[in-house]
Amino acid sequence: MREIVVEPLSRVEGEGGITVQLDGKRIKDVRFDILEGTRLIETLVVGKTPQEDVSIACRICAICTLSHRYAALRGLEKALGIEIPPKAHHMRSLMHLGECLESNSLHVFVLALPDFLGYPSAIAMAEKYGNEVTQALALKKFANHIMEVTSGRMIHGENPTIGGFGRYPDREVLLNIKKQARDFLEFAVYGTNLVAGLDIPSFFEKETVFMCCEPGNEFGLMGDSIRISTGEVVDCNDYKKLTNEKFCPHSAAKHCLYKGKPFTVGALARVNNLGERLKGQAGKLFKKHWNDRWLKNPIYNNHAQAVEIVWALEQIPGVVDDILKIKEDPALVKPARTEGEGVGAVEAPRGTLYHHYQIKDGLIADANFIIPTGQNLEDIEKYMRLAVQGMIDQGADDDAIRLQLEIICRAYDPCISCSTHMVRIERV
Amino acid sequence: MSQEKKSVGLYGFTGCNGDQLVIIHSEDQLLPFFDSANIKSFSLAKSDNDNSELDLAFVEGSISSQEQAEHVKAIRERTRYLVAIGNCACYGGIQAMELGAKGWDQRFRKVYGDGFFINRTPIESKPIDVFVNVDFYLPGCPIDARQFFYCFAHFLQDDEPVFPDYPVCAECRWRENDCLLLKGELCLGPLTAAGCGARCPSHNLTCLGCWGPMKEANIGAEFNLLKEKDYSLEEIKRRFRMHTGSGMMKPLKKLLGAL
Ligand code: SF4
Repeated sequence: MREIVVEPLSRVEGEGGITVQLDGKRIKDVRFDILEGTRLIETLVVGKTPQEDVSIACRICAICTLSHRYAALRGLEKALGIEIPPKAHHMRSLMHLGECLESNSLHVFVLALPDFLGYPSAIAMAEKYGNEVTQALALKKFANHIMEVTSGRMIHGENPTIGGFGRYPDREVLLNIKKQARDFLEFAVYGTNLVAGLDIPSFFEKETVFMCCEPGNEFGLMGDSIRISTGEVVDCNDYKKLTNEKFCPHSAAKHCLYKGKPFTVGALARVNNLGERLKGQAGKLFKKHWNDRWLKNPIYNNHAQAVEIVWALEQIPGVVDDILKIKEDPALVKPARTEGEGVGAVEAPRGTLYHHYQIKDGLIADANFIIPTGQNLEDIEKYMRLAVQGMIDQGADDDAIRLQLEIICRAYDPCISCSTHMVRIERV
Repeated sequence: MSQEKKSVGLYGFTGCNGDQLVIIHSEDQLLPFFDSANIKSFSLAKSDNDNSELDLAFVEGSISSQEQAEHVKAIRERTRYLVAIGNCACYGGIQAMELGAKGWDQRFRKVYGDGFFINRTPIESKPIDVFVNVDFYLPGCPIDARQFFYCFAHFLQDDEPVFPDYPVCAECRWRENDCLLLKGELCLGPLTAAGCGARCPSHNLTCLGCWGPMKEANIGAEFNLLKEKDYSLEEIKRRFRMHTGSGMMKPLKKLLGAL
């Protein structure tokens, strides 16, 4: 028996690895191992105030810190009967766009592109692709700046809080963000075309199901219902029906299935489900590059992320205007009650993120988090299995198989710190 | 030339990777950073990592499995200096909130059932100095980029960095914020090591203590003040242990023992 192991998987967030077991030409097992240690965060927030929960839950993940914060705030504010004022709402949209921009540009340009161009890292790429690397880092820096301005710190900023924001940024700072968003658009369009020009292998393609938040009539990153590529739309309160979980001994994250089948969430799901709604440059790029291979091949997640970067940059000026239109900074809205239940769903960069809370006597009585990467695990393993089979049939050597699997896995942009926290056993 | 460069490794254990990301987020310093040393291992940023001898290792995250404990010991054996970066490494982080000895088993079972792992033997999260000798602690959740590069530069020169020993309170005053503690809010500014620039109080939000305790923190004074303001022992304890586990609880327990 032959075993191919990749551990640790580099350039992904958190500690993970891939194990393939082969018996001659037969695949015995393909596993995406989650090696990250357990933190039991859902149990840590029990007995804490909602305010404290927001500060703990966001620390599940550094890359999606604001999505965790946003999902927590939405779930908790529903439970507490809080309606946030419009200015706070626009600020949250801006911080969320900042995170999407940050995470997507980090992944596409710094983590994934080196694979396609044959380099071990973006730093090593700099010699030949100096301009691209410099611009990509500048774009990422701009996105980090948005996160810092809105949340108070680049990572784990506490400014977005229950009932609104502790402080609103200055006008000049916001106007500068608006200007920079316009300036970066050209590079983002160029970057999308660069990614779209890459040669994407097709031998492991297969249809799957896509899920994302239904934002209403436009493209977006948030909603109270979930759109499935099968045409169904499901209320986010029924999230458990969409994400039946099973425990796998090789993974600190539980795997999710929908009606017994694997599915995909994330940029590719959003663009596949909602891409027709894209306007402006993002709409043009979508029309130019999208084809039905995007429905079958996870590598196109990189392409979808690039399109979203363009979309986010085009959204920012309008959101900044919305914030600036409201002169007065609203005070924090106080809870209407001390008991309740709420599910908050948002699109984290890697896909739909659910935070579900029960509050009693002003303290968290129970919490459940369903994390995007956990939802993708089954599909990641499915595509890796298809790829291994294809490559064995082609007679590929171990190194080639290893690289191909890393590319597939990384395309999902798995966030391993996150996924160790979605685990939960439901006993019926 | 490259022979003279110091060998450096960055490692992440249990946490959110926030501290390593702070480094990756420092776009302007990133190329010089990779240039000024031989970065032998930094798996969040690059794929050609190895296990060679090091002059300097930065370790992020707490230790939450026996395998991680072995790994951090192995890193210790092949490095001259070992620096703990971030609260998880320094104090165990939020996942080491000190909720009680038996609590962890129960909480583990609540989350994972009786499931077992084929690739890990989980243990309750602990700071890395429970397992290895740590040469320097760089706290924060996450760390501050300037403090990191300052620390990095010093170790490249075989020199130990020196950080100011004053509380967040001092930074807060420099920024001319209104004192939240005086307004009756549960702010940990007086006890918490400076370094963040008083971020939260500058946003009208209380300090949560995410930089850990400063060395000479007057826990007793703050404790009495909060009691006067009618905070219950439960509330105070909950806040003290939230971000730095044992970091603030150790002195508090001592104090409560003495009371
Ligand atoms: S100290 Fe904070 S930022 Fe660093 S790994 Fe732990 S949770 Fe993340």
